[in-house]
Amino acid sequence: MATTERTAEILQGLHDAVVDFEEDDTVALAHAAIDEGVDAYNAIMNGLARGMETVGDLYARQEYFVPELLLCADALYAALDILRPHLQIEAQAEPRKIILGVVEGDIHDIGKNLVKVMFDAAGWEVIDLVADVKIERFAEEQKRTGAQVVGISALMTTSMLAMPKIIKMVKDGDPNVRVLVGGAPINSDIAATYGADGYADNAGEAVAAAQIMVARA
Amino acid sequence: MNRSPRIEALLRGEKVDRVPLHGNSTGFTNRNCGHTIASAYNDPEKSFHSSLQTAEQYGWDLVPQVFAHTLLGGWDFGGEVKFPESEYQGALSISRFPATTEEEVWNLQLPDPKTAGGIPYAMEYAKLQVSHGLPAIFFPRSAFCMAANICGTQQFCKWMLKKPQLCEHLLRMSMEHTFNVLQYWVDTFGAENIVIYMSSPSESNQIISPKQFERFALPYHVEFHHRMREFPIHAFGLHICGEQNLNLPYLSTVDLCMHPCIISIGHEVEPETAAGYFPGDIIYGNINPAIIQTGTPQQVYDETRAILEKGKRIPTGFIFAPGCELPPMSPPFNVYQMTKAVNDYGWY
Repeated sequence: MATTERTAEILQGLHDAVVDFEEDDTVALAHAAIDEGVDAYNAIMNGLARGMETVGDLYARQEYFVPELLLCADALYAALDILRPHLQIEAQAEPRKIILGVVEGDIHDIGKNLVKVMFDAAGWEVIDLVADVKIERFAEEQKRTGAQVVGISALMTTSMLAMPKIIKMVKDGDPNVRVLVGGAPINSDIAATYGADGYADNAGEAVAAAQIMVARA
Repeated sequence: MNRSPRIEALLRGEKVDRVPLHGNSTGFTNRNCGHTIASAYNDPEKSFHSSLQTAEQYGWDLVPQVFAHTLLGGWDFGGEVKFPESEYQGALSISRFPATTEEEVWNLQLPDPKTAGGIPYAMEYAKLQVSHGLPAIFFPRSAFCMAANICGTQQFCKWMLKKPQLCEHLLRMSMEHTFNVLQYWVDTFGAENIVIYMSSPSESNQIISPKQFERFALPYHVEFHHRMREFPIHAFGLHICGEQNLNLPYLSTVDLCMHPCIISIGHEVEPETAAGYFPGDIIYGNINPAIIQTGTPQQVYDETRAILEKGKRIPTGFIFAPGCELPPMSPPFNVYQMTKAVNDYGWY
């Protein structure tokens, strides 16, 4: 069983390895955490997720850009895949769920993928519909999974036109579901016009925006 | 035919009576004339005449008259593309990238400069232009954008940090392919009859840092313009798409192949800022395309007026246009608001 000091060392190591996008290190430390009895949830939230918070801050300060975020995400997921099977079910509350997808007709998914990382790191259950998602599928998946939030991304001015229809379908199914939108042609005014509950300018803001929306529900 | 009297005057370094208006449109012009958005990519005849007709309708200058990109890394190097079909698809997309592994990158071959990808369509369009007294458009992406399009931007971004030699190889292949196709254009039309309009969206700071721009994009802009000196083309335009403010200090160090050239900016860059970095060139832009599509007519009119007030102060000249492609689904009356505002407030 790891000592308090050793646990702190592993957690800090996981944090630093995510920030430094050192995938080999996150993998090694994830195995070390398991082997030495560090609680998997602790390792994820106070190691990996904390690292991703730091990454988000670096992105907000324009020290990190998309290439760094992508590699940080790879480092995080490599360790997450090792730690997740060791989660003690009773150690966590029912996670909040979010549906994520890029609208029909649009395949630009880098932004959505970065948003996915942020929600994964924050402990949400992410149902990733990927890209070019038929408009009715968002509401269908929300109904199937009971997700509290639906996140819709669009990079093209043509694909953003699908958003109001998707939002209406989701709200018609359950008016309590919150809808978060994002993408290059979107802004907060357009989001409000479309009937969305929230808007995130970038991946770093998405989790906070979703948490605010859910708290207001 | 000279459908660009004011833009041609600016290119000669002359003053004009009113800010020129350019539509920056492919998909919209095709829909406007009863065709599909896909025609903008695979039907040069329909696309060419749609461009002429829509320009006449809205009073647009025609140069640079754009078709689809002449070169597209993902298509030219052997990937698969999907033409826009559904109501939400506004552009051609790459459905399979040609090189996504290290082995595939090293095994890439230079494409045939006459038959690869959409080059035959682009050549047909260019021939229509020249036959109607217009300059032939050569519409490449920057080497960085083309290279990222060969493997996918996400993969390219990762390789920049982890395996830069793969990126360098893709960049080199992209540069050589660009000049191979350009030579085809020069051999067909003569350099003096060619307008080059290059776009660089993947270089925006929404994706890469200025340092990454300096290392991976800038050297190829420098090389491009150095090599362009042997081609006395009619005009050169650079569309620096998206948030590129942090790149401007680097990009402005490039010894551009000619002056004035046209520097096309997105809504994220202020016209005065661009003019400060490119004091010898014409600034082009830059109403937010989303406003044209989703705003009220009054919003489009007011935004156009506000931009004109800034652009008219630029001594080397200003061309009003959308900051990126005019959205294909823009309400026609909104599009008209740009014309109306330019006619009301665009005079010197």
